[in-house]
Amino acid sequence: MTEAIKLKAKDYKSEVKPIWCPGCGHFSVLNAITKAMAGLGINKDNTVLVSGIGCSSRLPAYVDSYGFHGVHGRGLAIAQGLKVARPDLTVLALGGDGDGFSIGGNHFIHACRRNVNMTYIAMDNEVYGMTKGQASPTTPMDWDHSKLTPHGPGVRPFKPAALALASGAPWIARGYSGNPNQMAKLIAEAVAHPGFSFLHVMSQCITFCPEQTDWKAIVTEHEGPALANADEAAKVFLHEDGFQTGLLYCEPRPSWPPVSDKPVDGNALAGLAASFRV
Amino acid sequence: MSNTDTTAELANFLAHSLELESEARQRYDELAESMAGHRNLPVAEFFRRMAAEAEHHLQEVAELAGDTILPDLKAWEFDWPEAEAPETSSYEALHYRMSLFEAMQLALGNERAAERYYRGFADASDDATTVATATRFADEELGHAAELERMMTALPQQAAQLREEDDDPHMPE
Ligand SMILES: Cc1ncc(C[n+]2csc(CCOP(=O)(O)OP(=O)(O)O)c2C)c(N)n1
Ligand code: SF4
Repeated sequence: MTEAIKLKAKDYKSEVKPIWCPGCGHFSVLNAITKAMAGLGINKDNTVLVSGIGCSSRLPAYVDSYGFHGVHGRGLAIAQGLKVARPDLTVLALGGDGDGFSIGGNHFIHACRRNVNMTYIAMDNEVYGMTKGQASPTTPMDWDHSKLTPHGPGVRPFKPAALALASGAPWIARGYSGNPNQMAKLIAEAVAHPGFSFLHVMSQCITFCPEQTDWKAIVTEHEGPALANADEAAKVFLHEDGFQTGLLYCEPRPSWPPVSDKPVDGNALAGLAASFRV
Repeated sequence: MSNTDTTAELANFLAHSLELESEARQRYDELAESMAGHRNLPVAEFFRRMAAEAEHHLQEVAELAGDTILPDLKAWEFDWPEAEAPETSSYEALHYRMSLFEAMQLALGNERAAERYYRGFADASDDATTVATATRFADEELGHAAELERMMTALPQQAAQLREEDDDPHMPE
């Protein structure tokens, strides 16, 4: 009888070395993902990481599993399609705040609403890192470091947790790149949650937002159990500072697609397809 | 060390020591790689050296643990004084333009944190072997810190390098 070999976090890393800037928070997310995979004893061959475009979206290349580096903002669409077609796989989608809340914002709200059994990790550095430091939907109103927005973007930033809640996400947590061990635990819990799990990670961009190193002093850990009531959670998410970490909200509901005992009529489907043929 | 002469406390201590050294080594490796990618070669070389030191220590602890059965802890189940294991370089302290002196300062902070951790473990333990082992590890870390301080004194003074990104953003029409 062969004994199963227990893999360590480093065994889940690929041979490809990250080209992120030293100190980039995305390294921490990579470490947290591989630690979670080792903690769960996840089978690499049954795991797929799907991303869009951005520094953050390079992450699937650095994990020794299946991966898909998709189109900007479309990681969630691809990941949901994959999970519905192959429910046996563990599917994680990931990307940056630009990818997920700007060009991919529509996919984000509908993924929360649809509740496919998968995990989405948004690596939020409040900036477009890859294209060298432009404002994103989570950039503070007065952030004036970019020549494109010399007086700050002047637009109120999104509150991703509030947006996710309003769109129907049943599981919402927040991590911080300064604490990869807590993040690993959250990822393990997110994967185990039977529905759409949204992990918002504050992941510093050391190059274009060096002031984000101050986050360390302001992050706090959510105390007590996760909120299980959307009304209460709404009050918290609308008024919090966005630096509370941990599992913040969990109110499970049936995931999509619905289970039905009504058989699918193959002929009707074939007929429908035929009617579109020209 | 065999199972018969190992207390649960010593096993827990050894599990933490292995994780501490392993995390330090992996982070130094990661930093050496990314600094080299950003052409900060003196700092890359220094982090590579630190990774080799941590690996050396890791092997020593592994040898000492021998066939001891250690608690099988997940990454988030270790009990550290702060978010990460004490000798792990914090991401907040890094920048691709950091000087060799700043890199050494960072490593010095790591060695001191590890020394405090081992010393604290020894102080809190009632188990004689755990106290002796943790004290030895703490003394070794103290030695590493002193060596780093010697290296820093020998280093020519350098002005702090500019941290602001001066490479213009890409502005497509
Ligand atoms: C369709 C399309 N539009 C625009 C771009 C340019 N682009 C590349 S990455 C990016 C934003 C990346 O920011 P974010 O998703 O926050 O990730 P980060 O780099 O900060 O990790 C943009 C706008 C693109 N690649 N494709
Ligand atoms: S530009 Fe920012 S987000 Fe991109 S790798 Fe560098 S630190 Fe990370």
